[in-house]
Amino acid sequence: MIGRVGSAALALALLVVPARAAGPFDIPLFATPRAPAARGSATLVFAESPFGVAVTADGHARYDVRITAANLPAPSSLGAYHAYIAWAVTSDLAHWQRLGTVTNGTSTVGHIELDKFLLVIAAEADSASTTHSGPSVLHGNSPSSWLQTFLAHSAFFHGVTD
Amino acid sequence: MSRGVGMAALLVAAMAAASSAQQHDTTTMPPGMPMPGMPGMAAGGMAMPIPMPKGMVMMPGLVGLTPPGGSFLPGAGVDPASLPNVRPSAVVQMRDGDTLDLSATLVRRTIAGRPYVMYGFNGEVPGPLIRVPQNATITVRFHNRIDLPSSVHWHGVRLDNRFDGAVGITQQAVAPGDSFVYHVHFPDAGVYWYHPHVREDVEQALGLFGNMIVDSPDSAYYSPANREQVLVFDDLLVNADSLIPYGKTGPDFALMGRVGNLLLVNGEPRYTLAAHRGEVVRFFLTNAASSRTYNISFGGAPMKVLASDVSRFEHEERVPSVVLAPAERYIVEARFEKPGRYALVNAVQAINHYRGEFDAEVDTLGMVTVDSTPAAPDYAGAFAALRDNAAVTRDIDRYRPYFDKPPDKRLTLTVRGNGLPVATVQFMNVDTAYYAPVEWVDGMPDMNWLSTNDQVKWILRDDATGKENMDIDWHVKEGSIVKLELYNDPKSFHPMQHPIHLHGQRMLVVSRNGVRTTNLVWKDTVLIPVGSTVDVLIDASNPGAWMLHCHIAEHLASGMMTVLHVDPAAGPGR
Repeated sequence: MIGRVGSAALALALLVVPARAAGPFDIPLFATPRAPAARGSATLVFAESPFGVAVTADGHARYDVRITAANLPAPSSLGAYHAYIAWAVTSDLAHWQRLGTVTNGTSTVGHIELDKFLLVIAAEADSASTTHSGPSVLHGNSPSSWLQTFLAHSAFFHGVTD
Repeated sequence: MSRGVGMAALLVAAMAAASSAQQHDTTTMPPGMPMPGMPGMAAGGMAMPIPMPKGMVMMPGLVGLTPPGGSFLPGAGVDPASLPNVRPSAVVQMRDGDTLDLSATLVRRTIAGRPYVMYGFNGEVPGPLIRVPQNATITVRFHNRIDLPSSVHWHGVRLDNRFDGAVGITQQAVAPGDSFVYHVHFPDAGVYWYHPHVREDVEQALGLFGNMIVDSPDSAYYSPANREQVLVFDDLLVNADSLIPYGKTGPDFALMGRVGNLLLVNGEPRYTLAAHRGEVVRFFLTNAASSRTYNISFGGAPMKVLASDVSRFEHEERVPSVVLAPAERYIVEARFEKPGRYALVNAVQAINHYRGEFDAEVDTLGMVTVDSTPAAPDYAGAFAALRDNAAVTRDIDRYRPYFDKPPDKRLTLTVRGNGLPVATVQFMNVDTAYYAPVEWVDGMPDMNWLSTNDQVKWILRDDATGKENMDIDWHVKEGSIVKLELYNDPKSFHPMQHPIHLHGQRMLVVSRNGVRTTNLVWKDTVLIPVGSTVDVLIDASNPGAWMLHCHIAEHLASGMMTVLHVDPAAGPGR
């Protein structure tokens, strides 16, 4: 049952629209089939700034990510892996930015300076890995990913009649 | 899928007629002149009544509408040639006990080669730079010589409540032709500003603002600099060669506030400064815009932030840029190490709601030209050092025991609409998936323009009582340390950031979204991004009735204000 739920969650994340996030800082995380019982959520927190709102000189928001995870299996149970690492991934999947290590409980990692991104938590060979290669266990989209054309919004929130 | 309701919703929105907005007529229609090369020019050459962002056209369902209530331009019918040319701000050095006559008048301003009838204090934009020693008290005789009721609010100054300039709270508006005498005491060093507190969307926007610099007796109060520059940022919304008129009975642009397309520094579209190599310049920055939040930098010149609204920071910090919300002030120093040109820019990531994308937007506001002559004295060493301001920390230490107390008051920031054009409502409904914590530009000026303070009610809601805005009955005792929690509800129909300003007191931002602030500074204005919870600690030491409100001029006029009554220690209290 759990495995089927996990698979369904992945499909949901990829194909169907999950519920609206609570706010512009909240990222629901979805389990993959490699760790179907895993649960998690993430919150974007403005990086420390004397202005409260942290941005780069060219105006990109600068966030840390507070990740709360549960039921992450031991990385070694997935293969030759020893740590979970959070990655911020550009929407074309071309660039994976290491954010930091994640464990069950709450971990704060960062910084992110991307407008739209995927948040992926993957098992990696060691906690110092700077290149992504292991299996993903949790993932979600930045709230800004919901910024779509109006047509997309309509389909998401008003449903499709046929 | 292509036959889904998404398209239907869009088409419905596009085709919908307005429920309450008026059709254009010749008396209320803004200029709508052809705008060669102007972004937003509709296909077929039809002129937009307001300029639209690049690549966007006015929504079909809104074409032909104007804001209900009519519109006007101050000084209408006045020949600009009959008015005096505006002058740049002059420094007025004042001593304790001095008196200043301050007159709001019509002036002629020429911006980008075009003449406008606007306002100024003593014929200047910005108004006179009032420079006073800390703890001085001055008298200002204000004379209203414009065509609207007015007042002067001494923003950030912890002065006697009677002279706060808050129309409807501490005084009646000063009618055209009348005068009012203010006694202004300056207990805190720093940079402050003055502006009217009635129809700010018009009067402040048209030039009625100026700064005060309060000098500490400590000559080493700030780290050393070769020179000082006072920069006031604001913007104007213009179409071809005319200002976009203002709402006659109250502000239009009530959804987002009026975001101008002509960005100004000290009232001019181009700031220039000639500096020497290695020069350290101390900038006093003020945002006098109605709604725009800036992200300011100087062409990569290293900067450090020294102070904000009402004090220095505990610790100086390096910053890549300065985020400056309406009404906020920051004091920063920049060092121009090498000869060359350093562009003063406002660089933001705008949201294109139609395409669902972020667009980089960079406005060049000025230029610092640095020659090869070495600056003297050379403050490189002092600039490289980041000072700790122990006196600030000691002052704040008295308040630290209260940082974790439960909030005394929780206010939710939200909005209600009533009678907005149907097309606007439809678009809002389909554009609710994501709201940025901070919207840096107006991505929907057509909808925004057509919203008035009659149709949009911006709200401060007391979580405990459900009371809103001026119905909130909030009393604290003088000397109280009050924790206020501000929550910007992301689920309202149009969430937006709010720069919340408290008159006459000082406050500390102790946490944002549960994260403790590590480098504290006394503030009078705090930006609350969408979806954020911000806890502030108010030093309620100044008795009187003090406004708490959003400093987006159109939000204030749309109701987003309440009053904090600081009852004298010996008085009634509650």
